[in-house]
Amino acid sequence: MTIPLPWLSVELFACAWILVLLAADLLLPEARKASLWLWTLAGLGICAILLAGQAIAGGHHLIQQMFLVDPFSRFFKALFLGTAAVVVVMTRPFGRHLAGRLGAFYLLLFTAVLGMLVLASVHDLLMLFLGLELLTFSLYIMAAYLRTEARSIEAGMKYLILGSLSSGFLVYGMALLYGFAGSTHFEAIRHAFEVGPVPPIAVAGLLLVMAGLGFKIAAVPFHLWVPDVYEGAPTPVVALLSVGSKTAGVVALTRLLFGAAPTMAGLWTNVLAGLSAATMLYGNLGAIPQTNIKRLLGYSSIGHAGYLLMGLSAGSQSGVEAVSFYLVAYFVSNLAVFLAVTWAGEQLGSDELEQYNGLSKRSPFLAAALFIGFLSLAGVPPLAGFVGKLFVMLRAVESGRLWLVAIGAVNVAISLYYYLMVIKRMYLDAPPTSTTFRLDRLATVTLSLLLLGVLWLGIVQEPLVRQILVSVRP
Amino acid sequence: MIGLAHYLVLSALLFAIGLIGIMTRRNVLMILLCIEIMFNAANLAFVAFAKAWGNLDGQVVVFFIITVAAAEVTVGLAIAILLARQLKTLNVDEVSFLKW
Repeated sequence: MTIPLPWLSVELFACAWILVLLAADLLLPEARKASLWLWTLAGLGICAILLAGQAIAGGHHLIQQMFLVDPFSRFFKALFLGTAAVVVVMTRPFGRHLAGRLGAFYLLLFTAVLGMLVLASVHDLLMLFLGLELLTFSLYIMAAYLRTEARSIEAGMKYLILGSLSSGFLVYGMALLYGFAGSTHFEAIRHAFEVGPVPPIAVAGLLLVMAGLGFKIAAVPFHLWVPDVYEGAPTPVVALLSVGSKTAGVVALTRLLFGAAPTMAGLWTNVLAGLSAATMLYGNLGAIPQTNIKRLLGYSSIGHAGYLLMGLSAGSQSGVEAVSFYLVAYFVSNLAVFLAVTWAGEQLGSDELEQYNGLSKRSPFLAAALFIGFLSLAGVPPLAGFVGKLFVMLRAVESGRLWLVAIGAVNVAISLYYYLMVIKRMYLDAPPTSTTFRLDRLATVTLSLLLLGVLWLGIVQEPLVRQILVSVRP
Repeated sequence: MIGLAHYLVLSALLFAIGLIGIMTRRNVLMILLCIEIMFNAANLAFVAFAKAWGNLDGQVVVFFIITVAAAEVTVGLAIAILLARQLKTLNVDEVSFLKW
């Protein structure tokens, strides 16, 4: 068997670059290790170029049909590479906390990226398991990376225990699905579901695998780790968790449900609709009393998982298209907010909301960035988040779940309330001190680009929608 | 005669033991052990199904799961060592600085 190099080039290069980063970390003198972030960015850039080189229509099955390279996977691989690049920018102000272990941090970031790249292409339960664990293990270590801080260790431990528990559900579900279909391949499982009869263990297997992926997305009832891990883990890692890991979970879930169990749609659309309602309500109501910005963003990210599930619960191609748009809108808005929070956290010395009082007088740009980012996350027109929510709700209307749309609309109002409370702190309350601060050039440019994306997607949707249509349609 | 059903019942029991253990035990090392039991319950089911289907797919998956589980425990033990060193405890109930 020959290895089809062109279709695996991105993943193979990512593997090679992990070794390069390892060697660079070992061989470079300590004084020059600060430049490792450039190595990481360069690696991501080359991955992006290789990815662009694969831009040919149609799907390609690789490695015994386990790995599927198609426009859908390429679309999300590009999103993952972008997420990782912004996270690298975030590690710049954060770097002094990682001093001495910076090399390993970037290496773990790259293994997490490799895990996400694999997840975008899964077409087999084994591949799904390996991609998921590659991503999750990197995140366990990164969450506990501030090893002298009790809160970071606690975050790592909680993430590890609950993550392993959900992996346990996932593998057991995989075993049951294998027992039902006689193969771990998605096509074989789909065939078995089509032919029927479908015994209870197959249904149980499917639900268990969905539970394992629900953990990654942070959907109720697998959300318990989210607030604690978001508060305790280093902020750049939280950004990766919140955008990269969640997107990867949604993509893998889409692959699984549409690739392996389309005939079971009657079951899983109802399950997802129920989870969606619970997730939105829990996340947005839980965010109201929070006093720590990272914890607040943790609850808000649970709320967003609810909207993503609402789109998937439509059970149609157009639902997946809406979710894809939502994920891109979430990518620009949430990364802008997290980039601002990383800088604010460094300058203010804390992530407590009290420190954000009067931020508009201390750093007008940062406050404006948080203002736009929060309004987009809440879903205020004409920003990206509004269009994302609109698309997702339209699909839910099409599938006839008006009650779910009503809950979604109520949650927009709830989320607007707690986001506006933070904005009120920044613009109306008196600052604790009058010292001002500025962002460095790299952060300013990145943040401006993300904010431009938020505005642009809010006003002009057509280019992205066209791209999504090309990517999602088989 | 021991058949597929016996293996599956045993595997379901192991899974339940692991799950209950994670929920009731408070020591990090015991929790990691219970997670291993859950993984091995899935391994047993995979092997039993592979025998029933007469193909090797399930057995191949088991090798991967064993490897991944080993990596999982390695990370888990590293974090347990951090806990023991920095916080002088292995009890998860005593590790709760993060509260709303």
